[in-house]
Amino acid sequence: MTATGKQDQLRLGFLTAIEVPDKGFVGGLLVTNHNGRPLEFQCTAPIKANATQEILYGPTLAPFILGELIGGTLVEKAGIKPQLILTDQMQILELRNHIDRPVALVEKGAQESNADEPGTRRSIRLGRQIIQFHVAHGGDQATVAGNSQQVPADADLQEPFERVREALQETLKSGALR
Amino acid sequence: MMSEPDSAASVETESRVPPVVFGEPIAAGSSKPEVQIYMSGMNGALNRVPKIRCVEVPVQIPDVTLVPWRPNWPRVKTICLTFPAGLDLLPPPPPKKSDAAAGANELVAVKAPAPPGAAAENPDAPPRKATRIKPPVEAISIEDRLFYLLQPPLETWLKGQELIMPFEPFPYQYEGIAWLFSQKSALLADEMGLGKTMQTITAIRLLMRAGQARRILLVCPKPLIPNWQREFKAWADELPVVTIEGDGAVRQMLWTMPGVTILLANYEILVRDMEAFGESAPQFDLVILDEAQRIKNRDSRTATTARHVPRKRTWALTGTPIENRPEELASLYEFMEVIPPRATPDLRQLQQLAKQFILRRTKDLVMKDLPPRLDRDEYLDLAPAQRLAYDTAEKEGVVQLNSMGDSISIQHVFELVLRLKQITNFDPLTGESSKLERVEADMEEIAECGGKAILFSQWTGCIDYLEQKLARFNPLIYHGKVPMHKREPILKRFKEDPHAHLLMMSYATGAVGLNLQFAGYVFLFDRWWNPAIEDQAINRAHRIGQKSQVIVTRFISKDTIEERINRVLDEKRQLFAAVLGEGNATNLSLSMNASEIFGLFDLKARHGKGTRAIGPQAPAA
Repeated sequence: MTATGKQDQLRLGFLTAIEVPDKGFVGGLLVTNHNGRPLEFQCTAPIKANATQEILYGPTLAPFILGELIGGTLVEKAGIKPQLILTDQMQILELRNHIDRPVALVEKGAQESNADEPGTRRSIRLGRQIIQFHVAHGGDQATVAGNSQQVPADADLQEPFERVREALQETLKSGALR
Repeated sequence: MMSEPDSAASVETESRVPPVVFGEPIAAGSSKPEVQIYMSGMNGALNRVPKIRCVEVPVQIPDVTLVPWRPNWPRVKTICLTFPAGLDLLPPPPPKKSDAAAGANELVAVKAPAPPGAAAENPDAPPRKATRIKPPVEAISIEDRLFYLLQPPLETWLKGQELIMPFEPFPYQYEGIAWLFSQKSALLADEMGLGKTMQTITAIRLLMRAGQARRILLVCPKPLIPNWQREFKAWADELPVVTIEGDGAVRQMLWTMPGVTILLANYEILVRDMEAFGESAPQFDLVILDEAQRIKNRDSRTATTARHVPRKRTWALTGTPIENRPEELASLYEFMEVIPPRATPDLRQLQQLAKQFILRRTKDLVMKDLPPRLDRDEYLDLAPAQRLAYDTAEKEGVVQLNSMGDSISIQHVFELVLRLKQITNFDPLTGESSKLERVEADMEEIAECGGKAILFSQWTGCIDYLEQKLARFNPLIYHGKVPMHKREPILKRFKEDPHAHLLMMSYATGAVGLNLQFAGYVFLFDRWWNPAIEDQAINRAHRIGQKSQVIVTRFISKDTIEERINRVLDEKRQLFAAVLGEGNATNLSLSMNASEIFGLFDLKARHGKGTRAIGPQAPAA
């Protein structure tokens, strides 16, 4: 039996990536319940663009690799689908254009942030942080707001990204992604 | 169309006369030669203007290769790890409103008081460092390592979201919980009073939540069963705990009943029932032995039985992993399956294994805010009648021992030691006791200021004698002769009755597992053979929750066997510290051996090499 979690509980996906010198980008998606307990984890092998790709993609390369390629693959392959995908990297927001579920950026240091006031436009407060949605998907805010009370008010939404990064480093160290 | 200047072109010439092939003979009878040839040999055809026409010929140019580019990225390879489902446990029942509160204003939830030493709520205080679960050394596969790495910090996990904690644990307790959670084999050897019980229960909760354990067996000495029941109720109300008790048929049913998650059994029942099960013993995800020094003798039935319980994880709890000799640890390691059966690791190997499989913290190390424990050794002169009785008994006893020649045994020496120790407590004829006088004096003061004291003795007879003499302090008795069902009410009364100032306990029954942190005074009326047992006794009072200093009084009668034993006990403390890394390891031959016990009377050991363990059985249930 797997930890699918209860259907009525909010499942969060924490998606982030690290860049490994000479190897490229490695991405990880940690699906947790609303309390941050892990349900599923996936990570990718390193993805590196060649010189032609770098030239031809130009500034769109990072959003493409991080959002569409890594993010898209991880969400597609997830056995437990998160209802909200959170990321700490702006480029990964691009993922929203390729999937049918909300993606939001967790802002660092929400207290000091100049982001929109929670509840206005495309930002809401979730746990201790403010999360920002993709500008082209204004309806996401309302979708998430309905379930946001499930996340404890003192939940630190930056912390799971640390776990993902540690797991990525551990996986790379183990050689499992060769 | 003209060809390109540099284009290749062929030029054709047309002549009016058919060309003649030189050398070809002219046909005979021909009147007109076909080709005019000048005398000079020139051909007249050269005078004609050649007719030139251009024809188009395709240029032979090699094909140009065009490379089409499409953004084809290779398929992304991924690794997936799905976490096992944890147990869905019922939420604990809401707290009942007390009768006193009925009709009063609505109760407002208040934050549970932090234990002493916990940082006060201060928004400006820097956030505490999160306690992360680390993968154990033996976890090799990436799946196993990621399982531990991806667990949330304990502070998050235990913040009352999924697991309600009545009190905020101390940082060292968080570390202990995280360590236990990740260990397949673990010996939690925290000094008494640091919360081994709470750490264990919390780690069990987390394991169950994480789907790592569904069936757990906890074995403890019989007197501690109510204590564990109480602690489970306090720390993990949502966990159903079943105590193995009743007749054989009932116990058989309880052992095998499906759906039971935590089984609580005492050592005697474990031995009896597991032997009855034979090869078909029930399996467990986790087996925990509390007061695990009970299996220090690897050949004992208890140790053998415990080793054969089928299980996936093994934890042992004890504040005294070594009571006499470092080799006792080997039995615990064997139970924990970290050494092969019958292996005899040397001291260096024991220390190495300790680093990986033992977690031990002392109060000095972690409880800097715990009120101090003040030890005082009270050297008392024997009362005159005691002195006379003692000297006579010792003199006669030694003469008798010497007269036994080679037939003398440790048992003979012990009988004399016990007789002398009893006389230092009180004179059997007159009842005179210098220790009693001192206790009475101290108790006057303690009772006057509303304090509470615990008194330990080796003998129930001594406790009964003191009960009469100290009746005005409303003493309560707690020893092996008190029926089990009466013990809890006694402890409750000692805690709640302001007139009950003194609780008198035997080492065997009261030294382990009880929480008596409301008592500020401890008397060791006589000395146990092992300093670890004495420390356990003292730590009934000097533990988490204690709000004032604890004054420990050890009575030592001058010029008696007690002084000599005290010297040996001090040396044994050094041994304990050495093996567990709390001191140097140079004094390892200091366990109380046969030579030393003979030496108490200036006798020489007659048998063996002087390394046999001596002393009465350790306190048992």
